[in-house]
Amino acid sequence: MIKITELQKYYRTEEVETIALNKLSIEVKEGEFVAIMGPSGCGKSTLLNILGLLDDPDGGSYLFNSIEVADFNERKRADLRKHNIGFVFQSFNLIDELTVFENVELPLIYTGVPSSERVTRVEKVLDKMQIMHRRNHYPQQLSGGQQQRVAVARAVVNNPKLILADEPTGNLDSSNGNEVMELLTDLNEQGTTIIMVTHSEHDARYSHRIIRLLDGQTVMENIMI
Amino acid sequence: MIKNYFKIAFRNISRNLGFTFLNIFGLTLGVAACLAIFLIVRNELGYDSQNSKSDRTYRVTLHALDYNANISMGIIPTMRTYFPQLEHATSVFYQPEVNIKIGENRFAEKNLVIGDSELDKVFDYQWLAGDHSTALSDPNSVVLTETLARKYFPQNNAMGQVINFGDKNAKVTGIIKDLPANTSMPLNLILSFSTYQKQFSDMARFFWNISGGAYAYIVLPKSYSVHTIEQQIPGYIKKTWGKDVDASVQLPLQPLRDIHFDQRYINNIVTPTSKDTYYALIGVALLIIITACINFINLATARAIKRAKEVGVRKVLGASRPQLISQFMGEITVMVVISVLLGVGICALFLSQANSWMSIDIAPGQILQPEVLSWIVAITVVVILCAGLYPAFVQSAFQPVDSFKNNSGVSSGGLTLRKGLVVMQFTISQVLIVGTLIVASQMDYFRNQDLGFNKDAVISVRIPTKEKREVFQQQLSNMPGVKEFSVSSGSPSYNNQWAPFSAPALGFPKDNVTEIKYIDEKYTDMFQLTMLAGQKITRKAPTDSVHKVVVNETLMHELGVQDPQKFINQRINVSGNLVTVIGVVKDFQSESKHKKRRACVLEYTPDRFFTASIKLQPKNMPATIATINKSWSTLFPDDLFKYEFIDEHIAAMYKQEQKVYTAFQLFSGTAILIGCLGLYGLIAFAASQRTKEVGIRKVLGAPLHSIVGLFTREFITLIAIAFLIAAPLSYFIMHKWLQNFAYHITIGPAIFFIAIAASLIIAALTTAHQAVKAALANPVKSLRSE
Repeated sequence: MIKITELQKYYRTEEVETIALNKLSIEVKEGEFVAIMGPSGCGKSTLLNILGLLDDPDGGSYLFNSIEVADFNERKRADLRKHNIGFVFQSFNLIDELTVFENVELPLIYTGVPSSERVTRVEKVLDKMQIMHRRNHYPQQLSGGQQQRVAVARAVVNNPKLILADEPTGNLDSSNGNEVMELLTDLNEQGTTIIMVTHSEHDARYSHRIIRLLDGQTVMENIMI
Repeated sequence: MIKNYFKIAFRNISRNLGFTFLNIFGLTLGVAACLAIFLIVRNELGYDSQNSKSDRTYRVTLHALDYNANISMGIIPTMRTYFPQLEHATSVFYQPEVNIKIGENRFAEKNLVIGDSELDKVFDYQWLAGDHSTALSDPNSVVLTETLARKYFPQNNAMGQVINFGDKNAKVTGIIKDLPANTSMPLNLILSFSTYQKQFSDMARFFWNISGGAYAYIVLPKSYSVHTIEQQIPGYIKKTWGKDVDASVQLPLQPLRDIHFDQRYINNIVTPTSKDTYYALIGVALLIIITACINFINLATARAIKRAKEVGVRKVLGASRPQLISQFMGEITVMVVISVLLGVGICALFLSQANSWMSIDIAPGQILQPEVLSWIVAITVVVILCAGLYPAFVQSAFQPVDSFKNNSGVSSGGLTLRKGLVVMQFTISQVLIVGTLIVASQMDYFRNQDLGFNKDAVISVRIPTKEKREVFQQQLSNMPGVKEFSVSSGSPSYNNQWAPFSAPALGFPKDNVTEIKYIDEKYTDMFQLTMLAGQKITRKAPTDSVHKVVVNETLMHELGVQDPQKFINQRINVSGNLVTVIGVVKDFQSESKHKKRRACVLEYTPDRFFTASIKLQPKNMPATIATINKSWSTLFPDDLFKYEFIDEHIAAMYKQEQKVYTAFQLFSGTAILIGCLGLYGLIAFAASQRTKEVGIRKVLGAPLHSIVGLFTREFITLIAIAFLIAAPLSYFIMHKWLQNFAYHITIGPAIFFIAIAASLIIAALTTAHQAVKAALANPVKSLRSE
């Protein structure tokens, strides 16, 4: 599903050039659950941003479903993203001004799903995430675990093929964290590919494979049994 | 999608009430002020436009010794014959005041017009009763406006009732709708021309180089060129008025719609005004809207940092840039529409109050006229685009990757822009402060300075009959509240009589025009006129056959004499009489300061002493006036005691300027207030952004003043930059404005000091609350919240 080859990304300031990704090559197959680990500044988030088409690489190739997307312009990237990729963030990134229902509904609005169908789909996914009773609440009125469940609901409402999760349990206590990991595992079992950046060995164990990065390069790959 | 945008817009508005209030309140004031200015300017520039033939109606004027609005009664009847192609032509006699008696009730009314049936054809009045083609045909017929008809005959139908005009009784033959205030020929009553046929026919026999008594109007046929008539006028003058009229004399045709803005003429019914003044008001309106838009842009871009995360999330979820631009524009649209609706409401309320204290006449209902409504829609769209586009583009450009980080990439560009815009707002407010101060100084100069005579505590009363004048004078001299009094043709500031003068002996055989005042022996002292040479006017013995006059400096200069002493005993011609100059008086202000001072002759002629000028003791003036009224009522039972303080009369000369000044004060104040709202919002935002910095500084021991200084230092720099732009700009604009007046103040440095000081005080007051609040906040709390 995803194949990156010799991917490069630099960050330049006036005096210093930092290499975030150093000719990195990774392949992720459809239906896989991959965890990416490594110390701070190793390039995990940069990789996730590029995989999620939020950022573009400075060199190398990125094939998404066998299509070269490294040189896509913003409009094409946005189009590909909204139909194929869901995001879950450490800080949830829910919009404070919108209710639970409206937050989850948002991706459907942007993909042009008609209103009546949106209601059905949002309700279905809220039900599945067991957050239906909070549909009219605003994010600030929810606990961290509930907020992350809303974020997961929002990520999956469009039935994306790929979910990118950036430390999804980083802001949660262990019991809420486990709940979110169970959710992701369920989604993966239903066929969604998941790539998750994490610092937690515990969370990484939910995945099939762990890729460890250091200085923008792969240093180790563990297959989980 | 649209529904979603509006839902979010409303929710954002209600979530950020403070911010929304600053924006909406500022823009509401801005829209209200702009709409009021639009209506005022439309009203003023629309003088005489209510008349359906206004684009082909001309006033026939006289350019002989001066530009004169008042011409001979003989012009129109002869023009009708010479120019048969004229669609309509009419002469009217205008009287500013008239005393009326109905039964036992007496009234003093303004604006009496004596005219014929053609008058209605030129000005197409709206008739409520009577036949417009015959109402003014018969002698002793009068047409009233609706208001007067109701005032005089509240119970009965006014038609057919009789009104007494002193020497004449007239029957009401018609009622017309009240005229709008923006007419150059206001009237409350029309008396039929034929009532005074005999007198007018006598007057019509002469051409009159000065003030022949009539205001004359002609209407050209449709698509007829005025130049055709203009080319034939010299031929008409020659043929009709023969060789007596000098070849240089002209009869300029003045377009009706230009009358209100043409300041060259003497004897105008309504004092004309400069169009520049209204363009300046339009300028103020633009500045107000710019200030309100700047608030929007500043507050929106400042808040953009806060909204960066939202933009990032939306983009991650698939929002395209156009969708985000639409969303932000939707929010702006909601706020602008709310502001416009509120602004229109406030403007309507304002107009219902302002008509009296700003001397304008604009019905709030005008707001619903299609032209005004389309203007409102246009301003709404312009504000949405000006205030919304930039922030929408900036905010929608945020990249999700940046916006999820620490926002550092998001703010810096906007900061420079915001500083630039704040400088612009300070520049605007300083220009307005300087402008308002200069207008205020000029207004004070008009009314109080350099008049050349003492106007304090003097009332002026017109004496109805000369028979009882002596008795009235006798009674005045016995009243303890009366300090001094004098009788004359009018006080120094009333100028209503003109005469030709020449001095063949001094090499000036050709007539020039002078003002002439008939004064008694007390006049010079009472008004404290300054004699430069010779004697004052004294009482003339009936046997004394020598005409003695005092002239002013200007007249002397016009005849090429510089030394007043040398002008004594010179003989000059005034109105065809040879007179001897016995004194020269320093120039005094008899007209408004728009115009250069004119030549003036003072002469002792008791027959023309129609006016008593009474100087009151400063103590208890109302009681003195009541005493004068009492003796007046006994002496002149048929006439109302109508007096006017001379300083009020002088103030009335500057009614237009006063109106503009009031408008400037009000609207400049509004612009400055709107700017303050924006500044307050901006500093509140800056304070919230810098909470952590303030916390760290306090932990490290920064005192209160250094933290307050952190916020205010920047604004002081911005004010200084603004001043460097505003000072020369406002000097240039106001210097140009002052050139409208023959006599004006000079712009000194003090005004600029006041402007920058005012800016600093305004900015300090605006920022102080937020700055001190930030400085007093508990650092533990602010650091934890980060």
